[in-house]
Parts: sequence; structure tokens; C-alpha cells
Amino acid sequence: MKRRKFIQQTVASSTLLTLGGFSLSSFSEKSTKQITILHTNDVHSNIEPFPTNHYKYPNIGGVARRATLIEQIRNENPNTLLLDAGDIFQGTPYFNFFGGEVEFKLMSMLKYDAATIGNHDFDNGIDGLKLQLPHAKFDFITSNYDFKNTIMDGRTHPYKIYNKNGIKVGVFGIGIELEGLVDPLMYKETKYLNPIETAQDMSRILKEEQKCDLVICLSHLGYYYKKYPNKICDLNLAKQTKNIDLIIGGHTHTFLPKPTVVKNSIGENMLINQVGKWGINLGRIDYFFDNNNKASKGEQILLS
Amino acid sequence: MYTNLYKKIRYQFILIVFLSILFSCKNQQYKVDTIKSNQTTIDSKLSSDSTITQFIAPYRDKLHDEVNVILSYTPKTLTRDDGERQSSLGNIYADICYEKANAIFKTTNNKDIDLAMFNFGGVRQSVNKGDIKVKNIFNLMPFENMLVVVELDGKHTKELFKYFEEKQLAHPISNVNLVFNGEKLETITINGKPFDENKNYYVLTSDYLQHGGDRMNFFKNPVELYSLDYKVRDAILDYLKETDTIKSGLDNRIIIKNTK
Repeated sequence: MKRRKFIQQTVASSTLLTLGGFSLSSFSEKSTKQITILHTNDVHSNIEPFPTNHYKYPNIGGVARRATLIEQIRNENPNTLLLDAGDIFQGTPYFNFFGGEVEFKLMSMLKYDAATIGNHDFDNGIDGLKLQLPHAKFDFITSNYDFKNTIMDGRTHPYKIYNKNGIKVGVFGIGIELEGLVDPLMYKETKYLNPIETAQDMSRILKEEQKCDLVICLSHLGYYYKKYPNKICDLNLAKQTKNIDLIIGGHTHTFLPKPTVVKNSIGENMLINQVGKWGINLGRIDYFFDNNNKASKGEQILLS
Repeated sequence: MYTNLYKKIRYQFILIVFLSILFSCKNQQYKVDTIKSNQTTIDSKLSSDSTITQFIAPYRDKLHDEVNVILSYTPKTLTRDDGERQSSLGNIYADICYEKANAIFKTTNNKDIDLAMFNFGGVRQSVNKGDIKVKNIFNLMPFENMLVVVELDGKHTKELFKYFEEKQLAHPISNVNLVFNGEKLETITINGKPFDENKNYYVLTSDYLQHGGDRMNFFKNPVELYSLDYKVRDAILDYLKETDTIKSGLDNRIIIKNTK
């Protein structure tokens, strides 16, 4: 109870340092490492802010502003990963006129570490996607699109491990089924692999074999489908797998006010987050690691 | 600096995870102790990074001239979700495509298109009240989809309406009147005549949907397929160029009795 109260006060004062200071001073031999995960999804070629007369998002968004925020956060903590959950393409004339070049170049300038592939990233065909790859100085991570018989063969990673200040962060990517969603002439011979089985394989490799401290799934499955509760989605993927600490989602343009805490297949808590669409929000999750786990089991305090 | 940053934070919460005591003895292993999360809305309180702004400028200028051409005017904001199983934006979208495509189809095939059906998901962004510019139409219809006419037999046309009934969505339709009793579709009228299951119908849609997009599988194997070599977006652009002020709203193409 005492601890809970303290944290509430920390929130009120809105400083990160107080919390860090608390952690360090409370356990003298403890060392803390902070990893910051920043993320976007479904930016859909939104480069400039919306016009000031926009019916819903007046003067909201814009890559140049996002760049400033990301820079501020990186200055605060250099151990930051910047990720995107797909549907980078399509939605403004920037895509229709320049084919995705502007989007990829800007994401490279913002130093994105990785992105997964959304259904709209096939909108100029798999050839159109490949054509823009030279402009992308970040990794494309997808685990369940088998590109072997396509022009994208060898251009993506099934998973990738990022070492940040000695913390191993494993990232894999799960895409949505393209059939019925994307014209087959666009995705050609791309083979779709079972998302749950693939996620189980990838997370096992990352957590158990590669000993990652944090396993992140970049997903374009969608958060949840109310009309089709059994359709594969982030919530169902989370419940049916283990070894995933965080799913960063997209596709359904879901504005989650805060990450959803879900119990995985072995009853452990994990998080799902998604920050809407169009570059309106930047999501941020900070993981504080320490090497002296005195904590008792299972309890969570959630403050919002 | 921290205060500055956190002023911008809309949502903030802290999640504390106390991990199992089982792992606590291994001193070198790092475990998650605390998770903290927040979300920042990108708004005018954040300054624009000048390097990024400069990079965007030439692309923006090039686009600017082309997309800011004023095409037409709408006295009210058109959205895809202002009605029940129809919308002001979906209605004009389908009606424009029908009108432009039918003119072509009549010339090339000497026949009239019976009805048009597109998908709700393909109506991408609302059109604000005021001048309609080229960019509004790119935002409304960003895809390069082509208009196609499919000749469907009565059975597949019935499946189309079954699909419409099941989805309960404002899929844009034109030249058709549907009367629902609650969720149930009771009466189908096409071009003023009752639907006849023994008749074939010419249905206008997009190549994306014809290939099975949005699981509109009834379009997949038509009796005959006619390509119009005309993009959906171009049809809308051409119509708006010829139209000073557009009129759209909800109408009796969808009638719902006994609605909840």
C-alpha cells in the first residue's frame, strides 16, 4: 500500500527521474537499465499536419513535429527503439505521386529501427514495394509472409535482435492474411503462414534460444474484431501464445488510451498497444530492467 | 525539460510488475521491474524539425499545384458514417460512378448498367464542407482501382444482396432501393423494377472487389466481365469538374422499418 501511494505521488509530479531515483536508492546494490520503445502504426502517407479546418483532427500530426518529439526522447534516453506496425503507404497524394519514396526517406531520417509490412504496403504491388526499398535505411521484419517465390525474397527479416545497453530486444513481425484484402495480382506468390504457429516459433527462438530480455511482436493483424470474435487478432494472438512481452499492433486504427494488459497462454501478463492512425500519436513504453529482483510475485498496479 | 515533455502527454500510466521471486537470486540477469507508458498527440505544441521540413518542401511544392485545384463545392460535410446502411458520401460516390460508367457502357455495349455496388472500406476519407479540391478526392479514393461491369446471374445477384444484408454496413450502392424490416432485407427494387431471380444483371463495381476484395465472392466468376479502362478516382474527378455544386444526402435507397 505504501508503495502504491508513492507511485501515485510520482505521477502527480510527472517526473521520470523521481521514479528512477526511488528505484536506485531503495535497493542499494541494484542497477537499473531503461529501454524506451517508441511506436507508430497506419501512418498511411500522412506527411504534413492535417489542415486547420479538418473536421476531426485540425492541425494534428505531421512528420516534422514527430521528429522533434522523437529527438527529445532520444536525448533523454539513447537506448530507444523506434518501430512501426505497417501500412506506411497509401492515404495521401504523396503516395499516389511519389510511390512511397517520401515515406521511406522520412522514416530513415527519423531513424526508425524497424517496420513490419501492412496490407496497404502492397498497394503498388509487390514490385512497387521492392522499388522503394533502397530509400529505407531500416529493417523490414515479417515472419509469416513467405516471399521465397517473389521479388521480395531475402529483403525482409523473420526476426531481428537489437542490443541496447546490454539488453537484448527481439523483434518479429506478423502480417494479416492478404487473400480477400489485397488483389492477388498485387501480392503475387506471397505465401501466408499461420500467424499463431509462426508467433510461437519466433517468440520461442527469441526468448528461449536467443535469450532476449524483451520480445516484441510487430503486428498488422488488427486489435480485435467485435463481429468476428474468433478471427485472429492481437488479443487472440496474445492469449494463445507465450514468450511475447509486447505486441505493437496496427490495421484496425484502434486508439488505445493505454496498453491493454493480457494474460498469455501460461497466465503471464503481457501488453498490447496501438496508437490509432495517420501519425496522430506517438506511443511510448518504457521498460525498466534491474538485476536484483526482490519483488514478490504477480501483483500489478495500474495507474492511469 | 522533462516537465516540458510531459506537459504534452495526454495519457499516462504506470504499470508495475513484480516478478516472480524465483528469479530474484540470479544477480546478473536483468528482469523487468517497472513498465511505464504514455502517448503523445502530435500537435502544434511540438515545433517542426527544420531538417525534415526542408526535406519535405520540394515534394510538397510539386504536389501543391496539382492537388489544390478547386473542382467543385459542397454545402455540407460528407462522411461515410452519417446514416444507417447508407451515407451521404457513399451515396454520391456510387451515384457518380454509376453515371460516368453507364455513359461509357451504353456507348460501347449499347446496354444500361442495372446497379452499382462498392465497399464501405473503400470510402477512405470525409469531404469537408466548402471547396472540393483534387486532394480531397485523392484522400477519398487513394487507390488505383478500375471500374468494371460484371454480368451476374440472378443467383449471384441475390448473394450480393444477402451480403449487403449480413454486413449491415453502408456499402455504397446506386440505382437500387432496399427496404429492411429491422435487420432483415424484405424488398429489392432495381432501377424501379422488383428484383427478378431469373434475370441477369449488369453490376458496376471495382476490379479490386471483382477479384474478391472484402470477400465479395459473388463477383469472382461472372457470366461476363467488361473492363471500362476507367479509374474510380478519375470518374469522380471528371464528374466534379463538370459540377459546380454537388448535392448529396441520405435518401430512400435504404428504408429501414422497425428500427431499434
